[in-house]
Amino acid sequence: MGRVIGIDLGTTNSCVSVIENGQPTVIPNAGGYKTTPSMFAISPDGKRLVGHLAKRQAVTNARHTVYASKRLIGRRFDAPEVTRVIELAPYEVVRGPNDDPRVQLGDKVFTCPEISAIILREMKRIAEEHLGEPVRDAVITVPAYFNDTQRQCTKDAGKIAGLEVLRIINEPTAAALAYGFGKKRDEKIAVYDLGGGTFDISVLELGSGVIEVLATNGNTFLGGEDFDRRLVTHLLERFEQQEGIDLRSDAMALQRLKDAAEKAKCDLSQRESAEINLPFIASDAKGPRHLNLELSRETLEGLVDDIVRQTLKIVESCLGDAGLAANQIDQVVLVGGQTRMPLVQNAVAELFGKRPHKGVNPDEVVAIGAAIQGEALLAEDKSLLLLDVTPLSLGIATFGGHFTRLIDRNTTVPVRKGHIFTTTRDNQSAVKIRVLQGESDQAAENDLLGEFVLSGIRPARKGEPEIEVSFDIDANGIVSVSARDLATGKEQSIQVNATSTLSDEEIQRIIDENELYEVQLKP
Amino acid sequence: MQAGGAARESQVPALAPGLDPARLPLSPAEGYLLSRIDGRTPWKLLREIGGLAPREVDRCLARWVEEGVLVVNGAAKPAAASKPPAKAGAAATTAATATTAAAAATARTAAPPSSPPPAPAAAAAARPATVSAPIDESLLNASLDLAVEAQRRILAYERRLGEPYHALLGVPADADAKAVKRAYFELSKEFHPDRYFRRNTGPFGPRVEKIFKRILEAYELLSDPTTRAEIERAARERVEEETVAPPPPASAAVAAALATPDPKAAAEAKAAAAAASKRMRQLPHLRAAHLKQLAERKAKARRFFESGVTAFKAERWIEAAGSVRLAIAFDPTNEAIRDAFGDIQRKAHDERAKQLLKEANGALDLRDGRNALRLFEEALVFKPHDPEANATAARLAFLIGEDLKKAKEYGQRACELEPNVAANRKTLGQIYAAAGLAANAKRELEAALRLDPKDREAKEALRGLGRR
Repeated sequence: MGRVIGIDLGTTNSCVSVIENGQPTVIPNAGGYKTTPSMFAISPDGKRLVGHLAKRQAVTNARHTVYASKRLIGRRFDAPEVTRVIELAPYEVVRGPNDDPRVQLGDKVFTCPEISAIILREMKRIAEEHLGEPVRDAVITVPAYFNDTQRQCTKDAGKIAGLEVLRIINEPTAAALAYGFGKKRDEKIAVYDLGGGTFDISVLELGSGVIEVLATNGNTFLGGEDFDRRLVTHLLERFEQQEGIDLRSDAMALQRLKDAAEKAKCDLSQRESAEINLPFIASDAKGPRHLNLELSRETLEGLVDDIVRQTLKIVESCLGDAGLAANQIDQVVLVGGQTRMPLVQNAVAELFGKRPHKGVNPDEVVAIGAAIQGEALLAEDKSLLLLDVTPLSLGIATFGGHFTRLIDRNTTVPVRKGHIFTTTRDNQSAVKIRVLQGESDQAAENDLLGEFVLSGIRPARKGEPEIEVSFDIDANGIVSVSARDLATGKEQSIQVNATSTLSDEEIQRIIDENELYEVQLKP
Repeated sequence: MQAGGAARESQVPALAPGLDPARLPLSPAEGYLLSRIDGRTPWKLLREIGGLAPREVDRCLARWVEEGVLVVNGAAKPAAASKPPAKAGAAATTAATATTAAAAATARTAAPPSSPPPAPAAAAAARPATVSAPIDESLLNASLDLAVEAQRRILAYERRLGEPYHALLGVPADADAKAVKRAYFELSKEFHPDRYFRRNTGPFGPRVEKIFKRILEAYELLSDPTTRAEIERAARERVEEETVAPPPPASAAVAAALATPDPKAAAEAKAAAAAASKRMRQLPHLRAAHLKQLAERKAKARRFFESGVTAFKAERWIEAAGSVRLAIAFDPTNEAIRDAFGDIQRKAHDERAKQLLKEANGALDLRDGRNALRLFEEALVFKPHDPEANATAARLAFLIGEDLKKAKEYGQRACELEPNVAANRKTLGQIYAAAGLAANAKRELEAALRLDPKDREAKEALRGLGRR
């Protein structure tokens, strides 16, 4: 058995971990950093740059440097989230043939799974260099609120990167695995994960080597970058007030502002005030202009307070799903760089009535958890078991355009659930089963996963026939739905496959193409 | 091993199947007692007629049950013993189960002799629901990437999936939420499919998944206060109902399950009858969820069966079959319904075929060949040996020409059913010819011409065959 690695494929930074001698280890990259920026660039002379190399030149090569592509993966081009990225990102986002957002760098267009794959391949390479052997198996993490398409695209990215993705698991779940590793106590824990791009909250229960996810919730579009953006907007406004120059259309200036804002934000976690100094940020007829100002922690907190409040609302709803009160949580684990901010820590402490746990490194804990899950799946000695859950509710469309749930979100998988339905008209001979995923009570607002017709129902008054609809999710997350007429025994079923924004042919083409760039350790 | 006396008194011991009593080392007195055991006489009576002092009878019987000489199949058998009688060889297992369960005051059952050695005491206490059902040894497969012992446990546990939720989790009926969760966690460690990730487990993979889903269901229903309250309420109602009126023989299984008192409660009954009866009300949620469902389903089954009978009398065969099928779906163990179903279904099939054939001929009149073929085919599902339908279907399938294989099948069956009809042989010959099977085609076409020498079409087809 080769080694299995755990990869935290983050919006802003990624991290890779492996179990060595029974202990989870975070693998540093060549530069000695334990996290690698999730950035990819093509330099003016056509070189492909990943990670720190890409980040270092991002300011001067803003149009050809991709970051935060995780925000685009698995979404439709017209989704509001994509529109927001298009507004803010200096790189160009174009509409792909499958209505998916793709990134144009020079004359080459990249799909989002392709860009994720480039990051994943870099993480794979870092691990291989460290281990001195080829790596194939990996567990990759995604935000808890990623839908099936986003998960499938992440899986595709792994495939393109030459990885065998054993599982996609949720980031907060991974954090809980890392926290629970080697612990014998029974505890209920909450994982508050405020990363660069996403916010996740999960409530889990640990007991004798089993980890059960009780509830999970989150927002895939809320994270540290929103803090940065608020700060950038604030800086832009102040600069415009002072100098009368709008920097919004200047890609280079924006990138510098973004870097400075991020740095100031981090500084303010330690200090009460930070200085932002960006000489020659612009120039006009009157000569060069410099941005130089003082930022207080209070100002920053004022700018982002509502975002933090927003996360607390999600936490409360998640606790509700878990059927627990805040004070029943034994331990709060913080994940994600943004949780270093005192405002966040205080807000969380206030909500739960206890200080968060300090023992884990918020940047590394997710990758560690992924490695632990990989090991738990493959190792002979099964000392840890994760009872994972389905992230979104599944059900069917019923009379009047309603959505009837058969499997609630946060249900442990594998699972089978059935319900009896009936007809709505006299002598109705067929029913259409529309399989939906989502949280809205309106069928139309949820995602349609598939549909089929059960015909040959014997003529009867409405409400008399009994049609049993069953949902089945297997251990690999594959959903099958069947409908059976109890009177005739007639049955129809479908398997609902997660759809990707890429076709199999496209994935293969990308894999073939990428072999040109591939550097691998000789096995 | 002293089971609660009150519970035991009504037990009916029987010789374990496949056991040769002659080979047991018995004293004459013991031999006499053994000879009184006929599978009908309850324990209580054996005390009086066994030829030994009552205490001696108790001691002997208890020992034999423990040794697997006897199986207890009484009305008051513990839940774990409500298995079909054990097969020879597995008898010891069942017997051990009966006594242990009776003594343990919970639905926990004894490990079969073939189980892995018991874990250390602490772990054993936490380990719920050890498995003990006899298994089909032929299903074991040493070539799988799964220890045979593990396979044994999976098979044994799979057999128990019909048990009430508490028993399934191996917790006492009054277990609190924490105990339920602990049991669920422990069982998950053994039966969650991730435990066998990427291993070649053959047919055991789906078994494990099925087991896990059921364990999960038990855990979820017992953990949710609403469903659990419902389960307990239903159990109380059920028990009261059953104590007033004994159930009809059809629901013997229900009766057996209901009559199973918790041995602990039974022991208390000995001391204080009133206290015990109060406790009885609180305990039997063990089977409650099941029982309530069962009762509802049986009631539904009865209703459907009745309307099926009404429809049958009115000669509405299809409707009757539909209703009875529903009745079976709700009460699959009811033999009476099943027996009735055979007749009804035959009638219904005939009726349905008649309707379809009528429609098919209608379509034929309208020159709608495809639709007619579809209807003939559907009719053949209900009446596969209708010669005319086979012949017409063969002809139509041949003329439409999309699926010669199907055409051939119908043609062959038509000829089997009516070998002396020229048209059948001709059609089959033409089908063979179209399929390129010249020798077969020749044989059939010649047969057709023997039966009807004037058939020009057959002659032409035969000539065409020669040209090719």
